Order: sequence, then structure tokens, then C-alpha cells
Amino acid sequence: MKACARFRPMIGHRPGELPAGDARELADHLAGCEACRAFAADVEATTGLVAEALLARAAQRDFAPFVDQVMARVEAARAPGVLGWLSARRRALVGLLVPALAALALIVYVLQQDGGTGAALVQVTAEGEATTVIETPDGPIVLLAPEEST
Amino acid sequence: MEADEELVSLAKAGDARAFRELVVRYQRKVYAVALGIVKDPDLAWDVAQEAFVRVHRRLDTFEGKAAFSTWLFRVATHLAIDAVRKERTSRRQDVDDTDEAAMAEGGEGILATALGNDPRENALRRELAGEIERALARLTPDHRAILVLREVEGLTYEELAERLEIPKGTVMSRLFHARKKMQAELRRYAGIAAPEGTEETS
Repeated sequence: MKACARFRPMIGHRPGELPAGDARELADHLAGCEACRAFAADVEATTGLVAEALLARAAQRDFAPFVDQVMARVEAARAPGVLGWLSARRRALVGLLVPALAALALIVYVLQQDGGTGAALVQVTAEGEATTVIETPDGPIVLLAPEEST
Repeated sequence: MEADEELVSLAKAGDARAFRELVVRYQRKVYAVALGIVKDPDLAWDVAQEAFVRVHRRLDTFEGKAAFSTWLFRVATHLAIDAVRKERTSRRQDVDDTDEAAMAEGGEGILATALGNDPRENALRRELAGEIERALARLTPDHRAILVLREVEGLTYEELAERLEIPKGTVMSRLFHARKKMQAELRRYAGIAAPEGTEETS
């Protein structure tokens, strides 16, 4: 058993991968060990199956768009400075800008309604995209997104 | 067909057509390696594309000491392993030690009989492709990676040791365990029960 534990990891080696002494001892062991010969036969029978299966799966997939997508990513990665940075984060920036712009619009609106006199007392907080809170002299006003207010 | 070295030189000089040619040449194999390691087809697609993007970005540093494909697959492997690590939970099985329990599982030799020894003439092997992929997916990430690199990329023990940054002895041990588990999965699929109490001599 101990000999098997030593030699089994060597089974499946390719020529030149083992020191000559180890290869010779492995051959001697295999000659006298039926269980290890059986394991070696299984290794031989299953070698190549993984490659066969994965390459078959790759062959089934439509690779027509692959190269264009790679080249688009290459171009995006090469996009210069600020434009490249903005391009890569377009979605996140839109997510940040929407509530900020909504808050700004509300400030302008409240200031106009108030005639400009309550500017120092108005504080607007944008809570993500859904909720905006306006702190007024009369208390907070919570503005919900349309789907929440209905 | 232009040699890789030629295409790499042209791509270095800014020839997009040359780089496209390299992508087309290796896209399926890079994808296959990535798929074997990360399991998920969409993630493998992304990893494969990112490998080409990274390689393109660093083309000017490529000196040609190794083959372009070796470099490309190295990048792809690292990206795939990183992708798996990001998804990996704290559950980690350490299965690299060769122990006597692993020796005593039994059932060896049956697969050789059931599957035959000639891969090209064996219809069952072709039918098994889907099951092989599923069996591969049930292995640990470390086992998947080493089997894929050994079989798809054809790396030697030394190359595996370098690629995976583990000692050669660990390469052999890990490969052994990966094969054992793969064989156990295939026996299950083939409805072959491992004989109980199989004992080994020597």
C-alpha cells in the first residue's frame, strides 16, 4: 500500500518527466501490482477526455462575435485619459448624476417658490434614485419616486 | 498561414488585422481552457476576451522568449484562476495529500474496460463529452485547473509547477487526486460501482 501511495502519482507521466530512477522503479512496481496497473489503464483510457469535451463545447459555441468584441474592448482600453475613464464608468456616473440633478432642480424650484428668502434653511438630500428629502423651515418633505407615491 | 511570430510583430507595429488573426487562431482553445477552470460559459467567454485584451495591452513587452501561445495561455489561466478565487467561498478542501484512504477506493481498471483504449474509435467517449464537462465542474477549482492545463494545454509537470506556483511533487499529487475524482464521477455516470473492499497489494 505504501508503495502504491508512492507510485500512483507518477502514473500518467510523459517521457522525460520523471527521473530515470523513478521511472524504472515505477515500471518494476507496475509489473508486480495489479491494482496500480488497473489504475494506469484507467488513466490511459480517460486521458484526453477533458480536452475532447471542452474543445467540443468550444466548437459548438458561435464565435462569430468574439473577435469584434475583443477588438472593441481593446479600443476601449486604449481610449485616452478622461474620455476612456468616463466611457468605462458611464453607467455608474448616470446613476449618480440622476439624483444629483433632481436635487439641484428641487433646490432651484424651492428657492423660486420661496422668493429666495429661505435659501439658508433649505437642505436637500438625495437618497439614491428613489427618494429625495427637503429640509425646510416647516420640517422635512420626503419626495418619493412616482412608483412609491402611488 | 502566417506564423505567430510574424503576426505578433505586425500587431506590435499597430496592425489590427494581425492581432485579429491571432485572436481567431486561439479563441476557441483559450475559451476551452477558461471554461474548464471557471465552469460558467459566460464567465469563460469574458475571461477569454480579457486575456486577449491584456495580451494586446502588453504586446510591446513581449520579447518572444516563449511562444506567443504560451504567454497567452498563461495570462488566460491566471485570469481564470483569479475569477474562480473571487467566487470561492471559505469552504476549501485540502485534498492534495496522497494518503492510504485514497489508495483504497478501488474500482480501478473498470473504466479502461468500459471506455476502451482508443479515443478516436470509441463512440462512447464522444457521448461522454457532456458528462465529462459536468464531472469536471464537480471537482474543486484546483483539480479542475490542473486537469485542464495538463490535458487541454498539454503542460508538463515542470510547466504546471511554474504556472500554478506549486512544487513538482504537489503537481503530481494534485493531478493524481484530480484523476481519481474524475474517474469516480465517470464510474458513477457509467453506472459502474466501485467494488467494495478492493485491496491493493505491494
